[in-house]
Formats: sequence, structure tokens, C-alpha cells
Amino acid sequence: MKKSSFICLLTIFGSLLLVTGCGKPDAPPAASGSGSPTTVQTIGVSFETLQTEFWVAALKAFETELARRHIRMLQAVADGDANRQIEQVRNFITRKVDGIIMVPKDARACIPVIKAANAANIPIVLFNRPPAESDAKSVAVVADNFTLARDTVAFLVAEARKAGGKYKALHLIGDLGDINAIGRRDGFDAAVSNATDVIEVVARVPTEWNNEKAYAGVVNALQKHPDIRLIFTPSDLHLPSIASALRNAGKWHKRGEPGHVLLAGFDGDATAYQMLVDGYLDATGVQDVYFEVEASIQAVLDARAGKPVPPTILDPGFVIHAGNLEEKAARMWGAKKK
Amino acid sequence: MASHHPPRTTNHEPRTPWLVRWLGGEHLVLWLVVLSFVGLLPFTPDLASRENLANLLLTLLPLLVLACGQTVVLITGGIDLSACAIMAVASVVGGLAMNGDTGWLTGSPWAAPVGVLLMLAVGAGLGALNGLSVAVLRMPPFMVTLTTMMAGGGLAIWLIRSETIYNLPPAFNALGGRLALATLITVALAGGAHLLLSRTLLGRWLYAIGHNARMAHISGVPVAGVMLAAYVLSGLLAAAAAVLYTGQAETASPLLGQRLLLDVIAATVIGGTSLFGGRGKVLWTLGGVAFIKLLDNSLNLLNCSFFTITMVKGAVVLAAALLDATRCRLLEAEA
Repeated sequence: MKKSSFICLLTIFGSLLLVTGCGKPDAPPAASGSGSPTTVQTIGVSFETLQTEFWVAALKAFETELARRHIRMLQAVADGDANRQIEQVRNFITRKVDGIIMVPKDARACIPVIKAANAANIPIVLFNRPPAESDAKSVAVVADNFTLARDTVAFLVAEARKAGGKYKALHLIGDLGDINAIGRRDGFDAAVSNATDVIEVVARVPTEWNNEKAYAGVVNALQKHPDIRLIFTPSDLHLPSIASALRNAGKWHKRGEPGHVLLAGFDGDATAYQMLVDGYLDATGVQDVYFEVEASIQAVLDARAGKPVPPTILDPGFVIHAGNLEEKAARMWGAKKK
Repeated sequence: MASHHPPRTTNHEPRTPWLVRWLGGEHLVLWLVVLSFVGLLPFTPDLASRENLANLLLTLLPLLVLACGQTVVLITGGIDLSACAIMAVASVVGGLAMNGDTGWLTGSPWAAPVGVLLMLAVGAGLGALNGLSVAVLRMPPFMVTLTTMMAGGGLAIWLIRSETIYNLPPAFNALGGRLALATLITVALAGGAHLLLSRTLLGRWLYAIGHNARMAHISGVPVAGVMLAAYVLSGLLAAAAAVLYTGQAETASPLLGQRLLLDVIAATVIGGTSLFGGRGKVLWTLGGVAFIKLLDNSLNLLNCSFFTITMVKGAVVLAAALLDATRCRLLEAEA
């Protein structure tokens, strides 16, 4: 194992390079689909993570919907690693899937794989997160974050008006590297800008989608402004942290009880559903996972069939609150989890 | 000074048990890779397709570069937990320098080469910080590199406020994205590391320290300097891996490699490099990296769920650690 080791090393790389045809890294696969252009037999679904309930519910919805349509699903989860996701989506391309649906880790790092899918003539849909601007062609199915957040906060403002008096508000802000967080922040701002007579925003807490940061921020804000009476979180993910902070501050009261803090979220997860039922949460903007899943699959089918597909498909979502809970719960993915 | 070669059982004496010979064999993991590949082929015919092999190779290369650095450190009996954080810092600094929007070198024809040099300098610098703390201040490698991992990860995020950097020079992206170029770079780096370990005095010193640092010192090995060199080399190779990964994704990210540490250490240990020091080779690491990437790739091709893949990989890493301990015990008994 002296010279032979080194020679062995070179031989392995050399033979792999020969087999894989080095120098043609961008060459598309020989065929781009497994059947005729309109036949969709297999779709690859790539998630960047399954760390939140939303993604788990979405994956489950994809499994159900694809099985219903008799389409085989290949799945891959990148565990939060953009490079691993690139590798996994390239695997889909290698396996000549008929379409790819991905939740990108990063709006920019996904562009090389979108281009690779374009080169292989495989339609690619980005689920819930749009890509950064580029010449790569894809379809994005995303929640209308701005409108849904604005409408959710408008509901809270109406509740505040009904109750009377001026409300001091705490606004949690997600990771501003995520376009979804930006849309929700702007939606909040649009709603409160029309209600300065009722709402005064006294604290903004950047959470970066991190529950520890959310908790620390809410605790600090409540210490500095103990008269905060309205809180909006851009993700239901932070509801347990907010509940804990409110409980510790002695401000955890149900709707109708004195000292109730108006609270609204976004997503529609199981915690939000339970808190709505229990009366601690006033409203949440529900991303319609089932609409987004169906629209993503339909976009692949339409693209394969040569039909025009818009580059962005918006999920309007809906605001759920105590008044419409019974009617809307069937469409709330968090309610189905219970 | 102790021999740079690990205790071996290749004397083929008739009384050497076959298990010891098999476990102590130089090419154990490479054989496992070949057997796994052949064994999996009937279930995943796509495994041998040209496109899949290209994909496999392209993703194997940066991990191999990273694992070569880890091999060098493990041979000394240390560990570098900060390798992935060093990658993140190098990626971010390179991105800040080279990007076509706000980069310090925007518009310069030297953006890509200077950017790469900056990345390597960052890697070497952080590696030197680790090395000085371990070798001069005599701090435990685990604590030192854990701290660098945390501080480096924070620094990378702070430098660009969690955002990713895009619009990198095409010449830079080609380094990681073009298979031929990435292969050439990796062969040069892995080959260099192999020659360093097997053909140079520094290589012999690294093994000697791993076997017994005190004995090495008595024998005249400049222990502190050699340890420093090991960590600098690990940092440099981590930065080189960052060049490949960043080029592949065409994006500089402070989260680069955040989940890779387990793969790096697992690949190195599966290859046969001992966690106890004094034993390891680049060729073994190649086997370990190939094994872990093959495992990942084939489980994906078999359409296993994320949870299954994670559990299987965890089990394989545990089996590798067990194999390492068993191998060491058997070889000691044999010696």
C-alpha cells in the first residue's frame, strides 16, 4: 500500500470520470420523461426540512393526492442543507421523473437545479417558497402572504375597535431572508397603517423563525410595555412561546375575560386550532395546504400537457376565527391533525 | 520515533485469524463499497446510470476534500468539529468579495482568483487559531474546535445578516459545478494530502504524535508545530471544500455545511481512520466518503423516507465506531 494506493486513487477517479463523461456536466439526460409528453407517472417531491408541522402536513397531503391520482411519488428531504437538496433534485432528474415539486431551502441556491430541470425538459414547481429572480423557468405556488396577513390583522383591529380604547401592539417578524416573512410583515404594516387611531405598535421582535428568540423578545417587550394588548405572530410556530411569556406575565386570559390580549397568528397549525377552540387565540391566517398541493400537482400535469401555466399561483388562504371556526375547520390543516 | 504505519496484520502468518485479517485489511471499506454497489444494483438499476454516477461523483468530491482535513487531524489524536463552520465563514467571505452586485472586487477580472485566495486564507487563519489553542495553550481539541464551530457559525451569519449571496463569477461557480474541474481540484488536494501523510517527514510526525505524543516529543518531534500544521491544513481543506460547495450551489451561504459534520466524521471513521489517533490514510477516507455517499444515494433511489435514511445512517455510523473499537482491540491483541 505505497505507490499502489496513489495509483488506485487516481484510477478510481479516472474511471469514474470516463464513465460519467467528464467535460459535459451540463448535458441533459437522453430522455426527459418516462412516457409520452402528456403521461405523468412519477413526480419527485423534495422538501428542505420536515421540522415544522406545516411541512409534515404538506408532505402527507402530497402523498394522499398523488396516490389518489395514481401517480408515483419519489420523496427526498434535504435536512436543511441546500447542497444536499441540489443533489437530491438532480437524482430526480437522473431518474427521469415527469415533474419535480420542491420546497427550496434557499431562493437562490435552487436556481442551478431549476436550470438543470429546464435543460432536461422536466417541469418544476416551487411549493410555498418562490425562487429569486433569474432566467430559470419554474412555477411557484405560494400563499398570498401580504393579503392574508393584512386581513388577519384587520380582523384584530376590528375586534379592538369593538372593544374600544387604544391598543398597544407587539409585532413579531420572521426571518427577513424569507420572502414569506417580508410579505407577512408588509401585510401587518398595511393593516395597522389604516388604524392609527386604535393601534400603536410599541415593539417589533425579529424571530428568524426561532422560538427561543421569539420567547426572549416577547418577554422583553412585555417587561418594557406591560400594557401591550395586541400581538401578531407571522407564524403559528411561535404561539407556544407567546403563550408561555403571557402566562408568566399574568396576561393569559380567554376571549371575553378581563385582560385578554388580542392574539393572531399565521399558518393554521394544530396549536392554533386548539387555542382557537380554547378561546386564547382570536384569529389566524390559514395557508390552504390542500389548495397549494392540488395546484402544484395540477401545474405539473398542465405543463406536461403543454398547457400554459402562470409563473406564480397564489393561494388566497382564509382567516379563521371563533365566528367561522365550525365552517372553515375542515379546510384548516391543523384541525385535521387533531 | 514510532513508525508512521499503524499496527497491521498483513504478515499473513498462518495463525492469524481470518477475522483479524479481514477487519485489519487495508481495503476493507473499498471492498464494502464495491459489494454494496453490486448488491444494490438489482434493486436500483438507476444507480449505475451515467447521470447518477456523475451526480454521485460531483457531490462526493467536496466531502472528500473536507474529510481529508479531518483525517489529518484525527491521525494526531485530535478532532476538528469546526470544519463545517470554517466552510461557512470562508463561503461568506468569498461571496462578499466576489459577488457581482456589492462585492469588494465587483468588475475586476481578478475577482474569482482573489476570492478563492481569500477563502483559503480565512480557512488557514481559523485553522491556525484552533492549532495554536490546542498546541500552544494545550486546550482540549474537542472544546477548542467546538468553540470555533459556535463562534464561526455566528460570525458567518453576522457578516451577512442571515442572507445568502448570489451572482458569483461564472469562473468561480465552474470550480465546483463542472465535474472535470472539481475532480481535478479534488484529486490534486487528496493526492497532496496522501503524499504528505505517506512520503514526508511531517506525515511521519503526525502519525507519531497520534500514537504517543509524549514519546514523539522525547524522540525530537516538534509536537506543537506539527499539531499547528495539522489544524491549519484542516482549515485550508475546509476552505477548499467551501469553494467546491459554494460553486455547486452558485450561492454563498452562512448555513453552508451546517448539517455536514456527522457525514464528515462518519465517513472518516468508516474509512478506518481511528478516533484514537495514529491510524488513517487518505485512501481509506476515500472509501469512507464513497460508502456514505453511496448509502445516501441508494437510499434515496430506493425511495426510502427521510426518517428511514436518517436512522440507517445513524446505525451505520454506530456500526463503524463499533468496528473501529473492535479492530483496535483485535489488532492490539494480535500485536
